[in-house]
Amino acid sequence: MRKQGYSVMMAAAMAASLLGSAGMVHADETSADYEECTLTFDWWGGETRETATVAAIEAFEAKYPGITINYTPGEWSGGDWESTKALEYQSGAMPDIQQTNFDWISKYHETLGNLYLDLNTVSDTLDLTQYSDSDLATCSDTQGALVGLPVAMTGRTFFWNKATFEQAGLEVPASLADLEAAGPVFQEKLGDNYYPLDLGTYDRAILAAFYVQAQTGVPIIDENGNLTATEDQLKDALDFILRLEDEHVIPTLEYADGEGADSIDKSARFINGEYAGIFEWDTAGGKYVTALGEENGANLVVGNELTDMGPAGSGVFSKVSMMFSISAKTEHPHEAALFLNYLLNDPEGVALMGTERGIPESKIAYDTLSEAGAIDSLQSEAHEAVMSADPMYWNPLFDDGSLKGSTSAYTTIYENLSYDRDSAQCAADLYSAYTEIAPYAEVTAEAESETAAE
Amino acid sequence: MSKSTAMKSRPAKKTPLQRWLRNNVGFFFVLLWLVGFLVFKAYPFLSSLVYSFQDYNMFKGMKGWTLQNYRDVFTVKQERTALIITFKYAFMTVPLKLIMALFIAYILNFKIKGVNFFRTAYYIPSILGGSVAIAVLWKAMFNDDGVIHMIFEAFGLQAPHFLTNPNWALFMICLLRVWQFGSAMVIFLAALKGVPTELYEAASLDGAGKTRQFFSVTVPLITPVIFYNLITQLVQAFQEFNGPYIITNGGPRGSTTLMSLLIYNNAFQNWDIGKACAQAWVLFIILLALTLVAFWSQKHWVYYADNEQ
Repeated sequence: MRKQGYSVMMAAAMAASLLGSAGMVHADETSADYEECTLTFDWWGGETRETATVAAIEAFEAKYPGITINYTPGEWSGGDWESTKALEYQSGAMPDIQQTNFDWISKYHETLGNLYLDLNTVSDTLDLTQYSDSDLATCSDTQGALVGLPVAMTGRTFFWNKATFEQAGLEVPASLADLEAAGPVFQEKLGDNYYPLDLGTYDRAILAAFYVQAQTGVPIIDENGNLTATEDQLKDALDFILRLEDEHVIPTLEYADGEGADSIDKSARFINGEYAGIFEWDTAGGKYVTALGEENGANLVVGNELTDMGPAGSGVFSKVSMMFSISAKTEHPHEAALFLNYLLNDPEGVALMGTERGIPESKIAYDTLSEAGAIDSLQSEAHEAVMSADPMYWNPLFDDGSLKGSTSAYTTIYENLSYDRDSAQCAADLYSAYTEIAPYAEVTAEAESETAAE
Repeated sequence: MSKSTAMKSRPAKKTPLQRWLRNNVGFFFVLLWLVGFLVFKAYPFLSSLVYSFQDYNMFKGMKGWTLQNYRDVFTVKQERTALIITFKYAFMTVPLKLIMALFIAYILNFKIKGVNFFRTAYYIPSILGGSVAIAVLWKAMFNDDGVIHMIFEAFGLQAPHFLTNPNWALFMICLLRVWQFGSAMVIFLAALKGVPTELYEAASLDGAGKTRQFFSVTVPLITPVIFYNLITQLVQAFQEFNGPYIITNGGPRGSTTLMSLLIYNNAFQNWDIGKACAQAWVLFIILLALTLVAFWSQKHWVYYADNEQ
């Protein structure tokens, strides 16, 4: 009877321990314990990004049975995605893991208070050693919490349709002088509807910023959040944009928008070669190759930065392309970190994700893809073009909601410039729009380099 | 009759609660709608009035109470322009649409061959309503590579940039709604059928031609329907959103930014809720004022048969 009692007690204890560990799974390969759970994940991007990400999700679920990823891909759609995310942040309902933009740290995380988890708290699962200190510092909030991991760094460069330039009897432009000279040649040899370059309003805002930076040698909005350009310098930059229109280098906005295409990759004029150049993020070349089709896609080549823009060179800047963040409210931070680590640092996940979000910043991801020859040559070249041009600092205030957006300052001012051609008035408006969010401070290149040296 | 039978036939005395339930049972039938109305209409409607007096950004919080949002509607260039454009849009769209609808209804009121086909054909655009698809179609038709440009080119003509020329863009947006005159047309058609034929016979005997009959007999008798269509079309025009949002996104240079679009942009692009609410209330007050003026004016031009008594 006594023995029987012990047996019952032992069986009960075993059952209790089994029950207690129910839901805990031990993955042999990674030695990572995790709980069975369902995580939510969303991102924006095109079809090819969706295909790659879904493949990585499925592989992760197979590797970590018990963790299910409920995912929601979406289109950026001119900022509608950001509006949706902003409302989510406001309501407090957001996915466990999400693709985020660098400027959302100041825009939403800092404003609404701790939206994203400090990734330092899950560094036992998420390998942060794969990132440089500057990457980690860039993606930290003002309290020092690491609120995102940079997937890639990006910058703007030119992509040229070599075939159209050849039709005009020209080489693709290697300098601003080449580009400016190409406009009249295109008009004369190919016709009024052929242009060496097409620029939307936001493209114009960035190119004008490059122009200003090429003259001053300092970021247009510096690390202290100050505008470093005077109204006269902004006027010079706007005159530069007008000059490109006048010399038939870029179409007027009335002509360009008249086509009704939502974006350049959907423009028939780009696809049939009438627009022979674009000024895009180095990560975006792929979608233009796809748009041009199998036959013509090979004609799209990467151009170098225009180093003769001003005394300081090309004025190019680079920024964090996008990040992955974990919600501060997630009930499964460890599992979310496990998933994120799989996407960013696990060779298997990295191989499946490819370069759909740019050339990875994670060292192991970069090495894995390089060894496998999986880094797209166009993207790699474009990235190299940006990074070799000694890019300047980019302040997220440059994309402040009052400046960037369909009804915000950049759109209004660059439309007015193209239609009215009054660069003095537009410069005054642009200066006013900038100083609303970034007060003017005189900063010289010498002072900037001294500060950097300190 | 036995005692027990008498007791059974006597109705049981109802409690006050049962009596109240019996008298108010209808209330429960509308309760669900009422809750929906209070939560999704009345509450947002009233809270928007409160927000309109606040300097309130969804992400920056409430900074204080202010009348500036209302002042801005009339003093800030962008907002004043949107208000003027909204009036232009409404005063172009509504008369054109009513004239078109009445004209087509008048023709379709004659006994002509295949009239039912034509009635259906003219009504179809209205079934499509303010749909996104029809706005996308409009954009595709009028952009520089669209079918309208091709027609111009076929005749050797240079078409303007319909959607990116500020002088044309608003008119093109108006045209989309004018084209959708079917609903107003059907109502006019019903009214035309209600005009007694003996009045036309009498007018004809008096020597009135078709034009005179139309203006002296038809129009006066259908003024109540004209009035009804005027009010409904006016309300629709001041609330127009889909056309300018999808076709031009308010451009070029804000020339198609109607108040509704500006409200949307302020609320959901700039998150300036206070400003957006004030603009919405100004729009509401303008609509209310125009409707009241229209109601006041009807005694001068709307003919109701029962007024003769």
